Parts: sequence; C-alpha cells; structure tokens
Amino acid sequence: MNQWRKYMILCFAVLMAGALRLPFERTLTVELQQANLLPAKLEVKTGARIGQTFSAVSLGGLRTLVATFLNLRAFAFFSEQRWEDVAESYDTIVDLAPRTRYYWDTGSWHQAYNAASYYLYESDLPPLRRKLAWRESILKGRDFLERAIQNNPDDWQLLEALGFLLSDANKIAAFGSPGESYEKAYEAYKAAVDTGNARAFTERAALYSLARVPGRETEALTLARKVEKDLDHAGTPTLYGLLYVLEYYPDPNQDVMKLVDTIFESRKQAYEILGNQWLRTRDHFPVHGIARAITLLEAELQVSEAQSVLKHKLQSPMNPEEEF
Amino acid sequence: MNPLPILRSIPSHASRVSVIALHAFTQLVRMKVFYFLGFFAVILIASNFFNLPQHEGPESAGVNILRSIKSWSLGAMTLFSVVLSIVATALLLPKDVEDRTLYTILAKPVPRLDYLAGKLIGVLLLIFVSLALMDILMTVILHLRTNMVLADQVAAAEARGWPAGDIQILKSDILAQGPTASLQGAVFSVFLRSTIIASLALLISTFSSSTLFTTIISFLIYFIGHFQADARAAYFSQEAGTSDGWFTKMISLLVALILPDFQIFNVIDAVIEGQVMPVLILGKLTLIGLFYAVFYVIASWFIFAKKEF
Repeated sequence: MNQWRKYMILCFAVLMAGALRLPFERTLTVELQQANLLPAKLEVKTGARIGQTFSAVSLGGLRTLVATFLNLRAFAFFSEQRWEDVAESYDTIVDLAPRTRYYWDTGSWHQAYNAASYYLYESDLPPLRRKLAWRESILKGRDFLERAIQNNPDDWQLLEALGFLLSDANKIAAFGSPGESYEKAYEAYKAAVDTGNARAFTERAALYSLARVPGRETEALTLARKVEKDLDHAGTPTLYGLLYVLEYYPDPNQDVMKLVDTIFESRKQAYEILGNQWLRTRDHFPVHGIARAITLLEAELQVSEAQSVLKHKLQSPMNPEEEF
Repeated sequence: MNPLPILRSIPSHASRVSVIALHAFTQLVRMKVFYFLGFFAVILIASNFFNLPQHEGPESAGVNILRSIKSWSLGAMTLFSVVLSIVATALLLPKDVEDRTLYTILAKPVPRLDYLAGKLIGVLLLIFVSLALMDILMTVILHLRTNMVLADQVAAAEARGWPAGDIQILKSDILAQGPTASLQGAVFSVFLRSTIIASLALLISTFSSSTLFTTIISFLIYFIGHFQADARAAYFSQEAGTSDGWFTKMISLLVALILPDFQIFNVIDAVIEGQVMPVLILGKLTLIGLFYAVFYVIASWFIFAKKEF
C-alpha cells in the first residue's frame, strides 16, 4: 500500500476513534467535576479561559507542588509587607489548588488581618489613605473567603472563618452596619453547622452572632436554649449572659432575681458574668436587663457604689474615624 | 470462519510478547533507570524533614507536611513517569535498528504486532515497577508521619478540653490527608496517563525520522492534550458569546478528535488535596486508558506492518 494512503487511513482512523471517545470523555469530565475531582469550568470565552487556567491545567500532577513553592514565595512577600504581591500570589495558588482550605484561609488572613493591621498601625501613608487601605484589605480578605466558599461549599472551616471575620470586633466597622454584618456572620456559621461536620463551638458562635442582630431576639432565644441543652447545662459565661438577656427581652417586667436564679448557679456567678458582659462594649452584645440585674445583685452582694460595674468607664466600639 | 486456529495461537503470541517485553525491560534497567528511585527516596525523606517557612495555626500544625509529602511524591512520580514513558519508548525502535537487533527479530517468525506490543509492555512494566516502589515508600513515610501528627493533635485537643465529637472530627480531617485508598488510585492514574503517552510515543516512533522528533512531538502532544477538554467544551458550547465563531469551532473539534484528553487525569491533584476518588471513576479512567493504548498499538502496527528497514 502506498505510504501516503496509509497515513490518510491513519488520520481517518484517529478522527473516528476521537468521535467514538468524545461523548464518553465529555460525560466523564462532568462526573469528575461533580465529584470535586476537577475544577468547574469558568463561563468565559475560550481564549480568556485558557489564559486563566493555563498553569492550573498544564501542570497536571504537579499543581500542588508548584502551589507549595508559591506559598513559600508568598511568605517572603509577607515578611517584606508587600501586600499586593501576597494577594497576587494567593490568587495563583488557589487557581492551582482550589480545594486546599489552608491556602484560602491563609490568603484571606493575610489581607483581612495582617495587611489591615499594617495599615492601622505601621504604614507611613497619610491617615485618609491608611483608612482606605485598611478597609480595602479587610474587604479583600472577605471577598477571598467568599470565593473560597464558592469553590468549597461543604467546607465548614471556611464558613466558620467567614463568620469569625464578619463578627470580629476589630474589623466589623469596615463592613458598614454591625447588625447586617452579624446577620451575615450568623448565616455563615449556620451554613457551617448545616454541613453536619462542624465542631460544637460553631453553633455557639452562630448564637453569639444571631443574638447581636436587632429584631431576631426570639430566634436567638430558641437557639440559646438549644445550645445550652446540647452542652448538658455546662455552657460558657457568654452563653449564660446571653441566655439571661434573651430571656429578659420579651418580658422586661418579670422578676429579675428569679430569672437570675433560674439561669446561673449562684448570684455571685451571675454578678461576675453579667458584669463582664456589661463591660464588653466593643463586642456589641445586647444588654437588655443587665443594668437592672447588676443593681439588684450589687445591693445583695454589698458592692459599694464606687466599685459598681456600672460606674466603670466603657470602651467605645472600634471606630475608624478615631483610630486613624 | 473457524476461531480455533486464532485461539490456539494466543499462547504463542503471549509467549513471544512476554519474551520481547522482558528483553525491553532488561534493556531499560541496564540504562540505570532505577537510580531515579534513590533520588526519589532522598526527595521524600527531605520533604518529611523540611520545615518550610509557612503559617500554621496550632490546630493545623503538621497537616501541611502531610500534604507536602504527597505533593512531592506524586510530583516526582508524574515527572518520572512522563519523561520515562516518552524517552524510553522513543528510544526503543531506533536503538533496535542501531543494534541491528530488529533485523534478527523480524527475520524470525515474529509478527510485528507482537514485537510492538512486547516493546510497549516492557516500558510499561518498568514504569509500573518503579511507581509501585515509589508508592510503597511514600505510603510508609506518610503512614508514620500521619500517626505522629494525629497523636500530637489529639493530645493537644484533649489538653484544651475539646469534646469527644470535636476530637473525632479532627481525627477524620487528619486521616483524610494520610495514606488513603484514593491516594493509591491517584498513583494508578499516574500509571494510566503514562500508558497513554507511551503508546502514543510508540505510534509516533513508527513513522518519525529520529528519536528527538518523537520526543519533542510527544511532549508537545502531552502538553496540548491538557487543553483538549477546553477545546471540546468550546465546540459543544451552545450559548451566545461563549463560542468564538465557526473557524474556532472547527479547530476546537479537530483538537478534541485528534488529541487525547489528559486533563481528566488531573484528578491526581484533587486527591493530593484530600478529595476521595470513587472506584467507579478509577474504573472509567482505566477504560479510557486501555482504549487509547489499544488504539495506538493497532495504529502503530498498521504503519509498522510493511515498513522496510
């Protein structure tokens, strides 16, 4: 047979074999994407897609190794406080290893915590620039975590990290209204709990956020009772402080000391816990009925007026206008 | 047609293929390919002791090193298997021509298909043995290190007074980064990908003029093959604004039909990150790997059958 004819037949056979396997490979790719074994495709034009995923795709089998090296480079950028380079490095790293929680978590932490603190305390920029950079860094960290969750919707630790960031007393001013931020934090914590894999703490953190959302006190009370029951009545001081506030809220005319006796082990313990909660102004915790309870408890425990918790100077919540 | 003569000839074919395969295997072993295993062992042991400058919270201390061991190991396995499958296969035919072994073999009643299949199996045997040894080494080290991390983390969690349920969650998280069945599946996927690239290199070597040509073209196809899935997606994309016109569609279709899809084997990276690979998916990958290997061997035989030397 003529050599060229042979090559023609070979080309035809290659095309036929391609047509035969194409539907199978197409279905398999979808299956792999559904099993989180391959990243989902970006809905952009082919050229742009190849540009964006070039390294991620072509380094098959070596992607996580390259991500390890880039993580080392990001550490060097962090040491030199080159925040833009840190952000860029983590963008590439998560393209290479989109299912590694550590990279998402660390990338977000660098922006929302380290870069933000740098602009708060160390930068030589003018105050207004520092304030803008501080806010931008925190929002960048939040965006990064939200992208992380889009890529890993079942990862309870990423959801928990978002909840933690949104309810952080030192960052909340960057997000606008604290009430809305606590609501978003609650949603993130709740989503983490709903995965069924989260630790017991996560549900408690969800409660701490929900209790700070104005207008959702009834839901918060139901959750507080559930959490306390789940912990077999061995909760934390914050939990008992909130339980008191939330039980008090619907009926301000109730017998406060009776409520105190129902919730706390002793009146001394009640005074300590409620006193601390009264002083935690930076955390925006609700204080319904706390002043009333403290007044009555101080009278009973013979605390002098000068030493009264209610006389202590309260710290104002974090306010960027005052910090810069 | 009476199938009996064909059935009767199977043992003799198998015997010839195995002799050629063992010869090719020995030939490659003599090229001191296994020295790479020493290099691999050094990489693996070093990755176990590297204290890389990175951030680690107390609750995740040590887990990164497990991921690092897997990344280094599977990265080294990938490099070794791809390079060996291309270079060794590209070398086989020209070397036999150069040594004049090919004339001796083909002068005997050895079907050319048996010769090609034997050579390919020899290369694959070498890759399989190497990967198996590397896998054993990786699994042992990963197992030891996982137990160390687990013991440290559980002790720390108990000291912090974590509830039993939370400690269980911590244990599952750490064990998912250890030596799992999915990790063995990932190693097997590395082998499957090598099988495809070696059989493709065999096909190219049947009509190529030099070893260098075969090697370069094989590496190029390996590289472009990672984008075959994107070309296929572009062809099938129906939504307005997602396709780039008729010409691009046709080019995409051609790429999708001609080149093998290597992107499906990128599951290896997901497994390193701790994802689970179901057995069914591994089965499907095996099926597609076999399809490519059988097709490329038959295609190689088609070109090689009447070739004169």
